[in-house]
Amino acid sequence: MGSNQSTPKISAQDRAILDMKNQRDKLRQYQKRITVITDREKSIAKECLARGDKEKALLALRRKKYQESLLGKTDSQLEQLEKLTSSVEFALVQKDVLYGLKQGTQVLQQIHKEMGGLEAVEKLMGESEEARAYQQASNWQVRILIFHNWEQEISDALAGQMSNEDEDEVEDELERLEQETVVLPKVSSQGLGHEVVHDAADGIVADHELPDVPTSIAAHDPERLQKQRERAKARKIALHA
Amino acid sequence: MATASSSLTTSSMFTFPPTYSFPPFFSPQPNAQTRSAQLSKWSSLVQSYCRHHRIFKLLLSDALESPLFHNSKLKRRLSAHDAKAVVDYMTSKEGDNRAEWIGPATEKASAWIWWRRPEEWAGVLEAWVDGTGQKGTVLTLYELVEGEATESQEFHGMDMEVLRKSLGTLVKKGKAQVFGGEGQEGVKFF
Repeated sequence: MGSNQSTPKISAQDRAILDMKNQRDKLRQYQKRITVITDREKSIAKECLARGDKEKALLALRRKKYQESLLGKTDSQLEQLEKLTSSVEFALVQKDVLYGLKQGTQVLQQIHKEMGGLEAVEKLMGESEEARAYQQASNWQVRILIFHNWEQEISDALAGQMSNEDEDEVEDELERLEQETVVLPKVSSQGLGHEVVHDAADGIVADHELPDVPTSIAAHDPERLQKQRERAKARKIALHA
Repeated sequence: MATASSSLTTSSMFTFPPTYSFPPFFSPQPNAQTRSAQLSKWSSLVQSYCRHHRIFKLLLSDALESPLFHNSKLKRRLSAHDAKAVVDYMTSKEGDNRAEWIGPATEKASAWIWWRRPEEWAGVLEAWVDGTGQKGTVLTLYELVEGEATESQEFHGMDMEVLRKSLGTLVKKGKAQVFGGEGQEGVKFF
């Protein structure tokens, strides 16, 4: 099997760390050996005491003491070694982080460049704000336009139902009927016949008085009737305006 | 201390399966079907026994004297010939490849008992390395099996050879790299 390209290589730094860790392991093994010895010396001392051999017991304890001092020395060496190993590992991590930051910053700069720089962005923001304000203003204008159009349609509907000739015929018939009846015409009250125009979005915009239909016809007041008719016509004209 | 040979220290009592108290268990069965079942039961017994005592390498001569192949209460034991047959079965595909003879085939003195196969060990190791955030860190082989950090782990005290074998499976998959001098190897997991 040849070299596995997918596996990352072991760096020189890795080997350095391995060396340090191997030394740490050696120290630990040494410590284990020493501990075995000290334990043994302790048990020897106990045996000697049990036999009553104080001198030998003392010797064993002295040896144990000496071994323990070696143990203490290796402890401090071990600590130093472990500190160094940790520092190296930490430095490697920091190196990676720094590299990542550098990469990120470069990408960010590139993106800013693509956006056209700060001036371009500010200009665009300004233009966008302008466009938005214009849109709002024209919105109102469009609404008013629509409303006016609708007004036109209503008046057309009201008036355009009948042609001019029809209109005259109706008015002639009205005259005839007037002459037939004798009852006084009632004055139309303000309360009747309101047409309210709604704007879909804004609610009531205008209130129009429809031309009132006379409730009864007076034969003895043609003048009044004429006035009524003229008033109705005037209103129609007003609507058309 | 890592036990290379079969040091049969009974830390806690191992409970033998009921067949262990069944005398015919120790005599090779003539009937093919029964024989096959018998071998399979022996294989399971060997595996669980080794797992309990953390035996990685079985030395036949020692095993024959141990409670594994010698039931003193029953006064029955497995002969050397029959013991070899059991291990042979375990090395076969039928036996699930749970053993591997060490040394020339003519000797058949000792064998690896894979109550956990190297690949399975690799999985355990990988899980531990991942769980402790040590991926990408350099670790010595020594600290993996003897270090304080792994004392609670199953692979603590594992035979060095077995460790090397299981790391080998990871290296093949490109999930780790072993390097360093002989006896001072280190491993880096990716």
